[in-house]
Amino acid sequence: MQREVGTLPLAPALRARLAAAGFQTAQELLDTGPCGLSKEIGISREEALEALQVVRQECQGDAARTAGGSGATRKCTALELLEEEQTQGFIITFCSALDNILGGGVQLTKITEICGAPGVGKTQLCMQLAVDVQIPECFGGVAGEAVFIDTEGSFMVDRVVDIAAACVQHCHLIAEAQQEEDHRKALETFSLEDILSHIYYFRCRDYTELLAQVYLLPEFLSEHSKVRLVVIDGIAFPFRHDFEDLSLRTRLLNGLAQQLIIIANDHKAAVVLTNQMTTRIGQSQSTLVPALGESWGHAATVRLILHWDNSQRLATLYKSPSQKESTIAYHITCHGFRDVQPPAVTHCPEGAEPNPRKRPRTEEEKQ
Amino acid sequence: MAAKKLRRAQLSQEMCERLSRYQITTCQDFLCLSLLELMKVTGQSYYEVQKLLCKVSRACAPTMQTAYEMKLRKSVNPSSAFLSTTLHSLDRVLHGGVPCGSLTEITSPPGCGKTQFCIMLSVLATLPVSMGGLDAAVIYIDTESAFSAERLIEIAANRFPAYFDSDEKLLCMTRSIHLYRELTCCSVLKRIMSLEEEIISKKVKLIIIDSVASVVRKEFDTKLQGNLAERSNFLTRGASVLKYLAEEFSIPV
Repeated sequence: MQREVGTLPLAPALRARLAAAGFQTAQELLDTGPCGLSKEIGISREEALEALQVVRQECQGDAARTAGGSGATRKCTALELLEEEQTQGFIITFCSALDNILGGGVQLTKITEICGAPGVGKTQLCMQLAVDVQIPECFGGVAGEAVFIDTEGSFMVDRVVDIAAACVQHCHLIAEAQQEEDHRKALETFSLEDILSHIYYFRCRDYTELLAQVYLLPEFLSEHSKVRLVVIDGIAFPFRHDFEDLSLRTRLLNGLAQQLIIIANDHKAAVVLTNQMTTRIGQSQSTLVPALGESWGHAATVRLILHWDNSQRLATLYKSPSQKESTIAYHITCHGFRDVQPPAVTHCPEGAEPNPRKRPRTEEEKQ
Repeated sequence: MAAKKLRRAQLSQEMCERLSRYQITTCQDFLCLSLLELMKVTGQSYYEVQKLLCKVSRACAPTMQTAYEMKLRKSVNPSSAFLSTTLHSLDRVLHGGVPCGSLTEITSPPGCGKTQFCIMLSVLATLPVSMGGLDAAVIYIDTESAFSAERLIEIAANRFPAYFDSDEKLLCMTRSIHLYRELTCCSVLKRIMSLEEEIISKKVKLIIIDSVASVVRKEFDTKLQGNLAERSNFLTRGASVLKYLAEEFSIPV
């Protein structure tokens, strides 16, 4: 109630007038009432009433916050956070080595950034995650929906169909092996059409559309409360070309990062971004580093860099608050992201891709 | 979409006038400002500004489609999803052929047959749909002056003798292949920008650019300092326009 007038979210012109008239605290405003206020400052009665309503709302919000209720600032002990984190699900990637170094998979409420050279598999991983987020809980998934924001146009529906079909078949295999009732029930709602209809796709052509879409995301997520994954494929693309003002770019990117963190926390969703690589020319050699500069590196909580080593694809966990840095190899088969087969397993006679589906899953079945 | 004027975003007249005094006329300008700046510029309270932001965002945000709708749209018209190259093993690897609606890049060392492949694709595109073509015109942007019309007719006559049995048909086919010779980066970019109207007026369903690298390498020497940024600028701008054309008209590029 003792809040200063200058901190209230009123229009700046109104604030200036209130300051000029000598009002200092919110309590004074409320005591004066709308008619008195309109006469003193020279605004209409309706405007005065509106301003007072805003003030009242703010003060109520303040009171609730100081009383320790839930609001924009959440307080909880580390123990509560630990319990929350342990019950939280992960979004698996079907490549058990990758899941292991990530600590179980892509975490909810965190921003994960995937960087890599073109063609290494970033969009494939995003499509795999968009399918995997929908795996029902009895199979070890999160049972959520996915929002896919595409800025580069590399989303291929046919590929998602392949990945989804492989995922559904995998779940069928598990259900047959374990013969449990809830598995069968879950499978009824887990078909190809269901998976595809729960991937919400937005195609943003430039950074303005991307900004607009991110502003509208909280509303969209409140309507579709089952969304657990937001993928932005190609956050670097609209910001890299045609941008003369680098400080504006940094400001926009920071604003974007903050909004994504709020979205991730409020709606318990995982945010996955893909970034491009750029060459940093040093004294004697040039190295590939993630694009968008150093300040963007602070935006993501977990950073995964995908790169080539001759003809083997590798994934390196570059930044993570809870896991250590490590590198693993992975494969992209016609069924999606998979582990690399150790050489002991025999290949199929036609020399086609080995069937790695059984191997990554055995650890999960034991659970 | 970004350059959409605020007037059309359903903001009130006086608000638009007020914003134009600060030179904010398009959605892009509006969304680039932070909340505090917006409050100062519009003279509205915090909550009002958030509502305005939502309104403007809704005006230029993309529409949502589920992956299922996309798949249905593709399966309704399977022949329009790909341009078959008539090389069966290549079609199998590409899952049907050159995909419509996205960019496909063909690279190789010199002399392997890129231009020949492009010429063959042009012939294929002019064939009627029943023979696996697109029954439409082709825009061919040639930067190396490597396109030979005689070779075009030779390919057409030998590959599809049954179809191109008369000179009439050959002439008709050649008339629907529009060739543009561009020799500098600027002219290539200008030509790409002007393609939208041509695609609609001439009913084009295939765009071929042969080749991007030659004109870029001629003009930009990567050893010079400033050129790298300019070159990538040119390339990304061209790429985004081409992607837009490919997606908008659902044609292969």
